Amino acid sequence: MSNFSVGFRSNTTIEVLDLNGELDAHTASELEAAIQKCKNEATYRIVVNGANLQYISSAGLGVFMAYIEELRAKGGDIKIAALQPKVYNVFDLLGFPMLFDIVDTEAEAIARFNRT
Amino acid sequence: MPVQFLAKAVDSTRWSKLDSRAGRTALLIVAAGSVVLGFIYHVMAMRAGAPPTFFVSVLYNVMVIVGYASIGLLLAFRFQRRTTSPARVFWTILFFGLIFIAIASYITSIGREVDEVLLDLYEAEGEFDYYTGVPRVFVTVIKINLLSLLGSIFAFYVLIRIGSLVLFKRTKLSQRNWQIMMALFGLSAATAFMKSPQSDPDIYQLVALIPAIGFMMVNSFRASWIVYMTFQEKMISIGLSMLLLLFLLIGLGITSIANPLPFLSDLRVYVLYYNYVLYLFVMLVLGFGVMYTTASLLLLLFHLPTTGDFQRRTHERVVMQSLTNLVSQAFDPEKLYTTVASSPVEAGTADTGWLAIADPKSGSLQPDIVASANITPNRVTRLMDIAALYGELSASRTSLYLEQASTDHRLNVRPGDGFSSLLAVPLVAREEMLGALFVTKEVAHGFEKDDIESIHMFAAQAALALDNARLFKEQIEKERLARELDIAREVQRKLLPQCLPRFKGLSVYASNVSAQQVGGDYYDFLQLDEHRLCVVIGDVSGKGASAAFYMAVMQGIFQSVSRLAPRPIDFLRHANAALAHSLDKNVFISLIYGILDIQREEFVFARAGHNPLATINLHGEAKYIRPDGIGLGLDRGGLFERSLQEVTVPLQPGDAFVLYTDGLVESRNLLGEEYGYDRMLEAMRRHRDEEAAGLHDALITDLQQFVGPKPYDDDMTLMVFKWHGIDVPTGGHASSQQRTATPPVSLLGAKP
Repeated sequence: MSNFSVGFRSNTTIEVLDLNGELDAHTASELEAAIQKCKNEATYRIVVNGANLQYISSAGLGVFMAYIEELRAKGGDIKIAALQPKVYNVFDLLGFPMLFDIVDTEAEAIARFNRT
Repeated sequence: MPVQFLAKAVDSTRWSKLDSRAGRTALLIVAAGSVVLGFIYHVMAMRAGAPPTFFVSVLYNVMVIVGYASIGLLLAFRFQRRTTSPARVFWTILFFGLIFIAIASYITSIGREVDEVLLDLYEAEGEFDYYTGVPRVFVTVIKINLLSLLGSIFAFYVLIRIGSLVLFKRTKLSQRNWQIMMALFGLSAATAFMKSPQSDPDIYQLVALIPAIGFMMVNSFRASWIVYMTFQEKMISIGLSMLLLLFLLIGLGITSIANPLPFLSDLRVYVLYYNYVLYLFVMLVLGFGVMYTTASLLLLLFHLPTTGDFQRRTHERVVMQSLTNLVSQAFDPEKLYTTVASSPVEAGTADTGWLAIADPKSGSLQPDIVASANITPNRVTRLMDIAALYGELSASRTSLYLEQASTDHRLNVRPGDGFSSLLAVPLVAREEMLGALFVTKEVAHGFEKDDIESIHMFAAQAALALDNARLFKEQIEKERLARELDIAREVQRKLLPQCLPRFKGLSVYASNVSAQQVGGDYYDFLQLDEHRLCVVIGDVSGKGASAAFYMAVMQGIFQSVSRLAPRPIDFLRHANAALAHSLDKNVFISLIYGILDIQREEFVFARAGHNPLATINLHGEAKYIRPDGIGLGLDRGGLFERSLQEVTVPLQPGDAFVLYTDGLVESRNLLGEEYGYDRMLEAMRRHRDEEAAGLHDALITDLQQFVGPKPYDDDMTLMVFKWHGIDVPTGGHASSQQRTATPPVSLLGAKP
């Protein structure tokens, strides 16, 4: 069984989700629940911090795709920060950097939110 | 303490060893012997006109005690296995008593004249010598022996039968009390050892009587058989016990005052002069008989009004405990819910009941009322905040009893709403709360301790039944999924190419290895014309039946669109548009699509988010080619098309290129290390001289050696293309060689 957990941190109107462990088909539902929670609280600006994210599978990537449209429609976004090199490669291979703001640090991600 | 010791001696289980054929015979001999010897003793005394010597008397007394104890044991063995009904006990005692009286009165009257019998209370005394107490005539001797024997037998019978009522509900305490009483009887009787029947009772005898009487009273009130009786049975028993009491008092002459049948009081006298010890024992027993019958009569009368309540309780318990109902309904959740909600109402323990379940899988944590009895779910939600109560139960995991619903702030109940008491019990199985059972009563404080306990017991069983139902559902779901996967695997197998393309100058080998779960790997070929071959490799995100479904869609798109729009960017553009309708938001497909042109000796391709193409030439130069391009399904607008880059790879003889899915490079060994891109290039370098098939197998072997004896986590597809050049004969024979390297898991690809 994969180990995965999501930590919540608030930064004014932005919610920061700290991903820990391995995000795959078994654990994707946890990330889904986390984003759903943000939605329920009408927080549409999300920064995903992947400093402790060891692995991501296509199911995990799918979670981002599932919510991005509606979050953007509500004026929000999902920005991804601090990915480990191997994990970044998975995003990069599929071309996610063209669809999402993927940055090196959380601060950068928050800054990008504040710019818009 | 001597009494404890005697009590142990009286414990019938110790003597049960004698309850055998041999034992009984022995006891019978002892009894018979002592009766006969007793007879002889009294004859001798009568003849002599004086009591026998001290030594002989002692012997006689001991013999009587032993002999009559044997009789008692024999009777105990005879009657101990009888099933007891209180009414039966009363009337059998009455019946045998009447017989006994009839016989005894006849015996008493022997040797007397008719009018003497009726008039003189103390006539019996006259048959014995005034000073010595010895019988005067032979007839008297016969009388005392017979009457003592019969009287003792009757007394033992009474004792044993009433004993069965006293010990109706055997507990350690009740048994001990009974044994102590019997021991005290023995002790009290023993105080008369060697005493003359004519002497007055001394202080020791009186003192010994007190504890005996105390325990007689304790045992008199042991009537646990009363609760199980119906009203009718109780009435019958009242009648019988009254008759019996009457009989015992009058018939046995226990009260000689105002005795209408004076001759019957003589019975005592005869037994007394037979043996003082025996006499005391018999009198104590009969006295206890009177006490017990009186107590029973009174208790029966006092218990009459509560008969209804007890019957109701028993009925309740029976209904609540009919669990076979619950267990068998595990297969029908709806029915189970209804049974759980309605059973307390049917049993009469509650006025209304309902069952609430919060199913996290259904998405919300709000409890739903799945079944109710005598009340509608709407009404319930109007009268209280079910979610709040449920939450409380969930947190505390103990039940909640609201005795006055109308005054409780958690509820919206007003007087006249139909209930005033509410009991809510969480249904917990395997440490998870599966639901909550609510029951109400119209009156306040309506649930007594018994009711609450009964509901708790029921709730525990209901929880188990619900758990069973849940497990069953999960099992069915698992089996359904397994079947779905089997179908998906079949579909996947059929979608993949059944044979490899044959092109002059080209050797091709491809294989697909399935992991535990059905994956979404896809690869295919399409021969456009004599010199062009369309190649595609892809990976659908996700696993299971839906991935296989998208694979099928992809195959359809490839087989049709590649003919019409063969150029890589065109193809991918059309494919992305075609898939836009089918793909869910969270699904995407990575793909490499290209055309191999043997005339122009080149491979033109584009990459939609897939793993980069690897190339190797005979000089050992290996590299990855990774043009831009995002995966299919990630963008339905212009971004997808704008991101694509087309690359042309010129082919020299000896060049090879490899297409694969990430299951290959991401395979991990036991240490968690990935095989990785570098290792693959390295392996390609080492085997660059091989044919496509050989290179393919060498790569697989290299991977297997790295990963070790582990099953694969993910699907794995590997396509190897080796260009030999038009003029060089292709590996026609080589491709039909037997492959030596075989992957550990079944090969779903095609063999040439």
